[in-house]
Amino acid sequence: MTSKKDFKKISDWLWEIPKSFRHDMRVPARIYASEKMLEEILKDESISQLINGCTLPGILKYGVAMPDCHEGYSVPIGFVGAIRTSDGIISPGACGFDINCGMKLLKSEYSEKEIKPHLEDLAVEIQKEVPSGLGRGRQIKLSIKQIDKILEGGAPDLVKNSYGEKEDIENCEANGCLEWANASMVSERAKNRGRDQVGTLGSGNHFCEVQKVAEIFNERVAEIFGLFRDQIVIMVHTGSRGLGHQVCTDYLREFIPLMLNKYKIKVPDREFACVPFNSPEGQRYFAAMASAANYAWANRQMITHYTRKAWKSVLGEKSSSLTSLYDVAHNIIKKEKYLINGKETEVIVHRKGATRAFPPGHSEIPERYRESGQPAILPGSMGTASYVMVGTKEGEEAFYTTAHGSGRTMSRHAATRAVSGEEVVRKLEQKGIIVKCWSMRGIAEEAPIAYKDVEEVVNVTHYAGLSKKVVRLVPLAVIKGE
Amino acid sequence: MVEYDINRGIMKKFEILEHKADLKMRVFGKSKKELFRNAVLAMVSGLQPKVKSRRLKVKNIKIKSDNLETLLVDFLSEVLYLSQVNREIYSDVKFKKFSDKEIEAELVGQKVESFSGDIKAVTYHNLDVHQTENGTWQATILFDV
Repeated sequence: MTSKKDFKKISDWLWEIPKSFRHDMRVPARIYASEKMLEEILKDESISQLINGCTLPGILKYGVAMPDCHEGYSVPIGFVGAIRTSDGIISPGACGFDINCGMKLLKSEYSEKEIKPHLEDLAVEIQKEVPSGLGRGRQIKLSIKQIDKILEGGAPDLVKNSYGEKEDIENCEANGCLEWANASMVSERAKNRGRDQVGTLGSGNHFCEVQKVAEIFNERVAEIFGLFRDQIVIMVHTGSRGLGHQVCTDYLREFIPLMLNKYKIKVPDREFACVPFNSPEGQRYFAAMASAANYAWANRQMITHYTRKAWKSVLGEKSSSLTSLYDVAHNIIKKEKYLINGKETEVIVHRKGATRAFPPGHSEIPERYRESGQPAILPGSMGTASYVMVGTKEGEEAFYTTAHGSGRTMSRHAATRAVSGEEVVRKLEQKGIIVKCWSMRGIAEEAPIAYKDVEEVVNVTHYAGLSKKVVRLVPLAVIKGE
Repeated sequence: MVEYDINRGIMKKFEILEHKADLKMRVFGKSKKELFRNAVLAMVSGLQPKVKSRRLKVKNIKIKSDNLETLLVDFLSEVLYLSQVNREIYSDVKFKKFSDKEIEAELVGQKVESFSGDIKAVTYHNLDVHQTENGTWQATILFDV
């Protein structure tokens, strides 16, 4: 068990556990948190899981935990680690089951005042058009051939077929498609799980929210992002659904024996299921992960399409449509280059519950954001504020990574015992927030009391320089599908 | 979830343990087969299904794995896959073959109208399967939800 005295305080927002703390650590462990948050984080397994992440072969500099981190399996949720491609490993467990779970933010040209009279209708229509995929709702079953096209073509494939705009692709991490995807590396069963889930939200903390811009912190960047006060925006949080879950399941099952017997890699948790990145198996998983990531971008693109449909059906065909601010993953493995010990080094960055936030001038962000930096979308818990942040140069310290949300503090089980779904809905309605959901228990599990305060998380990332605040968004309607 | 009263000498089938983000469960069984069967019921409780029709559906499965622990996870992963793809839940398992490394079984279940809960996957994290001093079996399993 670790305690506060095991940490070296680097700044008010950054703490480090030296490599000497545990014999199997290859690099130090770092955590971005205020002192108060650190004390909370020490109560669960986050830190020992972070230390486990620091034992991975090929990991460079340090393993990093974000202020919203909480225990998961293998590494904690809220982890980033950069692993040398030349001789390091790739770990399906350190990406997780929900490959390319991520955020998309759609902007409208309308203010709260203009939308308020239509809000209820809009929430009902979005709930109908964007189902959870677990209940009733639209059920279209794609063929395996269509799934293969999505796996290799990602969001651009849908836009080509009139399910979106050119700008949707430009304003999306990796332009919505990782080119090293290979559908033949994805099992038939994974494809089967994905056949009826394109355009569905899933469950848990996944959601669609109608929000308004409540506060602007950086006028110049907000202007570049096209955000203005009282503006109505729509936020989407979902990932690769059953297809991604099955890809991870398949490769974990295959890799655990390989890790132990063939490659003889010793790690503290078999859930890492890691193999050398430069092995045939490692490359297969990397291509399968990319395929699932493409599916997730296609899923969020399809949700965008259906949200626009709902928008037009309520506000009329002549209403101006929704445009995409950005779409960014928070569970993904990508090749990136960093200056490490004075040498440009290619690494395989594992982000699990952590958001990429590239700085101004970075070549991998759209031209329109080159001056400002990449938008990073940080959702709060249900019914609380969310933030649009922007990537910074200082973020390089954490491999250009920022937090991904508020992070849980209470188990789902404990949340359902502490509060009923009806009570949560009533409290949100008292605050003027409309809730459209399909499971009252699901609502209780996601109650705001079960999460860290998003303001604290955002402040740490802001003051530590991982990303800077641009605007604060507050919810008007929470929609969790049919 | 207490299905039976342990004080009256009847074994409970499973219980939920505290875990911040995921669904951690302890499963009980008088034998390994019962343990596996109860693990399926534990998973079904996490899916919170609304059954559509009472008509019975049968699926056959075959699973091979390295050891008893991973066999349990791989078995549950397969049942989860079948549940989600076919929109069915399985409430009984009839084993045709059962060893520490291999299972052949018939799953018996029903069509589901909707699930109120979702299980993304069955993890190997802190997985534990063991026989207790009194000869019964216990497993601790973490489901990613």
